[in-house]
Amino acid sequence: WFLAWMGLEINTMAIIPLMAQQHHPRATEATTKYFLTQATAAAMILFASTMNAWTMGDWNINQISHPLATTTVTLALALKIGLAPMHFWLPEVLQGLNLTTGLVLSTWQKLAPFALILQISQNTNPALLTTLGVMSALVGGWGGLNQTQLRKLLAYSSIAHLGWMIIILQFMPALTLLNLTIYITMTSTMFLSLKIMASTKINSLALAWPKTPTLTTLIMLSLLSLGGLPPLTGFMPKWLILQELAKQDLPITATIMAMSALLSLFFYLR
Amino acid sequence: MALTSARLLTRTVHEKWICAHSLTLRPLVCINKAAFYGEYRRPGQAQDRTPPWKKIRFSFAKGVQGIRKHFGLLKDEAMERWVGPQGRPLIEHMLEQTRVQWEFRGPESLEQWLVSTDREIGGRSEAYLKLGRNDSACMLYGTLCSTPPRDGETCYSGYCTLRSRQLLSSFDRKKNIDWSSFNTLYIRLRGDGRPWMINIAAETYFSHQKDDLYNYFLYTRGGPYWQDVKIPFSKFFLSSRGRIQDNQHPLWLDKVSTIGFTLGDKADGPFQLEIDFIAVCNDRAHTEEFAYEMYKRNPEV
Repeated sequence: WFLAWMGLEINTMAIIPLMAQQHHPRATEATTKYFLTQATAAAMILFASTMNAWTMGDWNINQISHPLATTTVTLALALKIGLAPMHFWLPEVLQGLNLTTGLVLSTWQKLAPFALILQISQNTNPALLTTLGVMSALVGGWGGLNQTQLRKLLAYSSIAHLGWMIIILQFMPALTLLNLTIYITMTSTMFLSLKIMASTKINSLALAWPKTPTLTTLIMLSLLSLGGLPPLTGFMPKWLILQELAKQDLPITATIMAMSALLSLFFYLR
Repeated sequence: MALTSARLLTRTVHEKWICAHSLTLRPLVCINKAAFYGEYRRPGQAQDRTPPWKKIRFSFAKGVQGIRKHFGLLKDEAMERWVGPQGRPLIEHMLEQTRVQWEFRGPESLEQWLVSTDREIGGRSEAYLKLGRNDSACMLYGTLCSTPPRDGETCYSGYCTLRSRQLLSSFDRKKNIDWSSFNTLYIRLRGDGRPWMINIAAETYFSHQKDDLYNYFLYTRGGPYWQDVKIPFSKFFLSSRGRIQDNQHPLWLDKVSTIGFTLGDKADGPFQLEIDFIAVCNDRAHTEEFAYEMYKRNPEV
């Protein structure tokens, strides 16, 4: 756990200069907010792992078994990746960054916390994971409505997708990994396309079709894939997750997740 | 005796230092002691040491009224969300190329504005805001007097300003204006030939940014005809506490707080400014992102 904590801190410190390179107060604000949230989460992780080592005598990542330590670590990792209800920093931070740094934040920065989440998944409180997942999916769908800034829209999309990944973690971690991989692919596509078009608002997307029809079509397909519309790739993880939830006798949870996916699809389609 | 001489000597040296310092730097306010950053008190005014709980004026009726008002606003915000951004359909947002943000068509429009002058620091300027003829414009009028107050500290005076109030949503949360679809400020006004300054304040995060404003000049023509002023947002430059900053950056339009007009041209006498509306528009021909050099200070050789 100590080495994992060190790795997370180095990861945070490394991206801070990349975020602040724009020399604009909004970039500095985003960097400060990101640093504060990540440092808080890292401190919580260190605290929880130390507590577990003190009570159980074990520093191994997948041997964390003290209930309070496990809950604290889960909440800290949720804060790290931006799961609801610890998601408030993500839209503001993404809005203050340029598209390239936003891409790194949305994709690469999720890998390290997820590696830890996957390792502790068997010891985590199932109710907590379900709550985090459902809340994230709902908040991601609700928050993304009426967003006109594309970076904030993708931030809420990220929150919703993270909800889907977390909810299935306790039943089938392989699906979480699949969902994460597909999410990273789709989000990278979106960010890179927006970077080529240099557009950060919905208005500029609306005027893009005569200038770059191919890229506009690609963006449209990526958005529909993010929304989980068949037969695109984004439908597959959602379908498998709903199937697994149904097998685990959680129809209400599956229904709520499907409804929240409809919310997300609504703003993607617009 | 030696001690008295030493005290006299140090006091003389200290006074000479302050005198030399103030002469060379010529600050806006001649200060004898360091002023606490962000706190301005009129000279001679004692610091307010009243504890916060003694300032509360509890009123049950007002409390109930406030609760009703804020929950009503919250409900409206939740309902607006189903319609579209800022309560308007998304198609309107996508297609709009102009938006009138403030227009003066009735007495309630004047309540969105604050007028202030150097009276707050002891000056003698006056400014008033009223509706124009046929309730079709507002008129800001008054008299400037650049005589500084005789308080031993203030060196300069003679300004007045008209600033929009910060928009508030439910529970007095700040609400910012999103002008990111537009790139030009469009104002229809009629002045008296005096030069004004337009100040736009955006949402800030750090405490040292609280006095950051984005300024540009507004030269009025005077005369009977209305003047249409179009200023691209790329022309606005950053200043803090009235001083232009070396590190310039463009104004980000997604979180604009207030707009203001300031007159401080060191000319004593009456002034008058009529404003019909303040709008924003999207000038497709204007592609400049920022008008000023963003040079690096201390570049590597």
